[in-house]
Amino acid sequence: MNKTVLIVGVVIVAVVVFVLFAGLGKDPSIIDSPLIGKPAPPFALKAVGSGETVDLTALRGKPVILNFWATWCGPCYEEHPTLVANARNLPNVQFVGVVFNDDEDKIMRFLAQRGTAYPTLLDTNGKTAIAYGVGGVPETYFINPAGTIVAKYAGPLSTEELQANLAKALR
Amino acid sequence: MTPILGRFLILASVLVSTTGAFIAYAAGAKRSPEGLRWSQRFAYAFAGLMVIATGVMEYALITHDFSVQYVAHVGSTQVPMWVTIVSLWSSLEGSILFWGFILGIYIAATTWVNRNDHQEYMPFAIGTWLSCGAFFSFLIAGPANPFLTVANPPLDGPGPNALLQNHLLMIIHPPMLYLGYVGMTIPFGFAIAALLRGRLGQSFLRPLRASLLLPWVFLTIAIMLGGWWAYEVLGWGGYWAWDPVENASLLPWLTATAALHSAIVMERRGVLKGWTVTLIQASFLLTILGTFMTRSGVFNSVHSFTQSAIGPTILVFLAAVLVFSVALLALRIDSLEAEGQLDSAVSREGMFLVNNLFFVVLTFTVLIGTCFPLIVEAVKGKQMSVGRPYFDAMVVPIGTALLFLLGVGPALPWGKASRKEMQRALLPPFITGVVVLAIGYALGVRNGWTLLTLLFGGYAAHVTFAQMWLPLRQRMKRGDSFGPALIDTQLRRGRRRFGGYVVHAGAVIVFVAIAVSSTMRTQQEVTLKRGQSTTFAGYTVTFTGTEERAEPHRQSTIAHFNITKGGGPPGGGGNIITTMDPRMNQYATMREPIGTPAVYSTITRDYYISIMNLQGDEAGVLIINLPMVGWIWFAVLMMGVGGLIALIPSRRRTYVVVPESAPDIDSEVVA
Repeated sequence: MNKTVLIVGVVIVAVVVFVLFAGLGKDPSIIDSPLIGKPAPPFALKAVGSGETVDLTALRGKPVILNFWATWCGPCYEEHPTLVANARNLPNVQFVGVVFNDDEDKIMRFLAQRGTAYPTLLDTNGKTAIAYGVGGVPETYFINPAGTIVAKYAGPLSTEELQANLAKALR
Repeated sequence: MTPILGRFLILASVLVSTTGAFIAYAAGAKRSPEGLRWSQRFAYAFAGLMVIATGVMEYALITHDFSVQYVAHVGSTQVPMWVTIVSLWSSLEGSILFWGFILGIYIAATTWVNRNDHQEYMPFAIGTWLSCGAFFSFLIAGPANPFLTVANPPLDGPGPNALLQNHLLMIIHPPMLYLGYVGMTIPFGFAIAALLRGRLGQSFLRPLRASLLLPWVFLTIAIMLGGWWAYEVLGWGGYWAWDPVENASLLPWLTATAALHSAIVMERRGVLKGWTVTLIQASFLLTILGTFMTRSGVFNSVHSFTQSAIGPTILVFLAAVLVFSVALLALRIDSLEAEGQLDSAVSREGMFLVNNLFFVVLTFTVLIGTCFPLIVEAVKGKQMSVGRPYFDAMVVPIGTALLFLLGVGPALPWGKASRKEMQRALLPPFITGVVVLAIGYALGVRNGWTLLTLLFGGYAAHVTFAQMWLPLRQRMKRGDSFGPALIDTQLRRGRRRFGGYVVHAGAVIVFVAIAVSSTMRTQQEVTLKRGQSTTFAGYTVTFTGTEERAEPHRQSTIAHFNITKGGGPPGGGGNIITTMDPRMNQYATMREPIGTPAVYSTITRDYYISIMNLQGDEAGVLIINLPMVGWIWFAVLMMGVGGLIALIPSRRRTYVVVPESAPDIDSEVVA
């Protein structure tokens, strides 16, 4: 029995197995953001269709689900029905869509065909997306009633993931 | 019908591989020739079942049998035939079945080649292979079953992930990678057999080395094809991003390369047996780790399969193999003890040791960089990512040192080198190195690491060519004519040696090409209206317009550019050298449109155009000038060919045991 080999081997096995087991079950879509725990960057953007301006600071007091998306993004199509259905079921939660790098008429067509239940805002020069550090679409931020970001999710949301993250905003 | 047949075949393969493994281990323990014959039959049977099961899946894919769950997942009547065929490895379940298919072929082929040889080791080796086969059959039968049925089969499926349909390399890159990955099971089985037997005889080195070299060749080519694919489709002009899965393919390659070198020392001097066996075990374990990385959903990567239940299963397997390997190694490493000893650090074998050290350090560097985010998250609960700067800062110096060794090692004699020998061996190539450095400097290279790479590259190239032609020169001195001496020394008797130096020559070119292409690249972002041109890096690019193309699975917008040489008048009046047509593809299932860049390759450089955005008459493009980048693909291919040359078995099987008392044996004796 070679004790050196055994000890070195056991240490390597222990470290590898511990790290990989710890990594299992974590969802790499739940992304850390330096903004978590910080006030959500304010914005006032025009809504598609109505042309009304929606100001984030005016939405304080309600949890906000802020979804960045675009019509050129496949998973956004997939995610859209989930968001609309949840927005209808959760009247106490304010859903806000922000469209990134897109044309207004394309968005209008998209919403006309697929329905909507919440305001969709036009981020014309991408400044809001930059302020939030959006890395790709779809990406969703969960903001608590005090206006603080509590979670960030990259990729299309399912209802379970949406509710799990929303719970953080209601805590 | 098809799904039932498939499931039956897989269940049979679970049974056959498990039984076969037990029989084989028992045959090994009892040294029973009859048991060995039976375990061989089980090995063939396992392979047969895997091949037929894969054939059944291909049949289901080609006939669009959407009652099979896997076909319903990845099949589509809208995609071209080649996409349908390669869908086998485009998603999780199919790729595991494909793994089993390749494993079966490897096991059967190796069992057959060694059917009458190495009877001492073969039962344990077959037992180990079939145990791995049992695990993968179990995965296919259970957590990753592609043969599940769909109750209400859809009329059409979505087709495979769009990124995978974007390039023909999907046909060749994954199979090459699997041939490399899965192939590491074979040397692992041999290494386990040597440990279980408690000895590693000289005659067993040949199959051990060959079984390691073959997957090494495939893995080498697979890594290059992956880089080339990224370069051809991703549009940023790069070929390597230190993505976790790229790293996963590199890790076993590094340890396998180290093992190939330490095996040479083992063969020559009878030392480093335990070490070589450890490296072979590590190579196999790293392939399993790589499989875990791609399939567990733990790492965020372009290569990740969607999250699946098989992550924990693979992790349990990995942990079990780790524990088994470490325990066996601790128990038996001392019985593989050295027959010889090393005389001097400044000798070829001394350089082999340093080479091994660097390869292992490099492996740990990449491994830690890849897993560091997981470690931090496990310990501190924070997310972080390790980016390019870490890898570049760590890997560039170690890589440069390896290039240095690649030059110095083969120049030094075996045994102990005298001062005079050293001077004679080391000085002339240094002059070549300085010349190459000067040429680079004259051509405008200013980056310190690149200049150092040129110096070491010139040095190593000189040594490599000198070593390559050394036996030829000796033969001609003895009065042979050039032609027969060439064939005899390089391709007949000295094949292994010659092949090895072909690999080295390729590696030198790869080092230099990577250094030059990454530090000498220039790029320009520009927006062009239709008819406008821009001049960059010696070419004038004129935007001539766009074209829409609709295919069943995607919508493409193709931009056309004329390329003319030199400054030329605005509008590109000169002679058109070529046209370049980068495109944007919008797949129905993708998050974002995927661009396909256009590349114009010449011997000295690549000219690369990628679309950033297209709006009406305006195209925002990224133009990149990449010197020497094409050399990388060519040189890696050369490394693969060198490996194959070294792999072709000699006609006569003679083994020369190097006696301890003769350290200065001439290099041709063994060949």
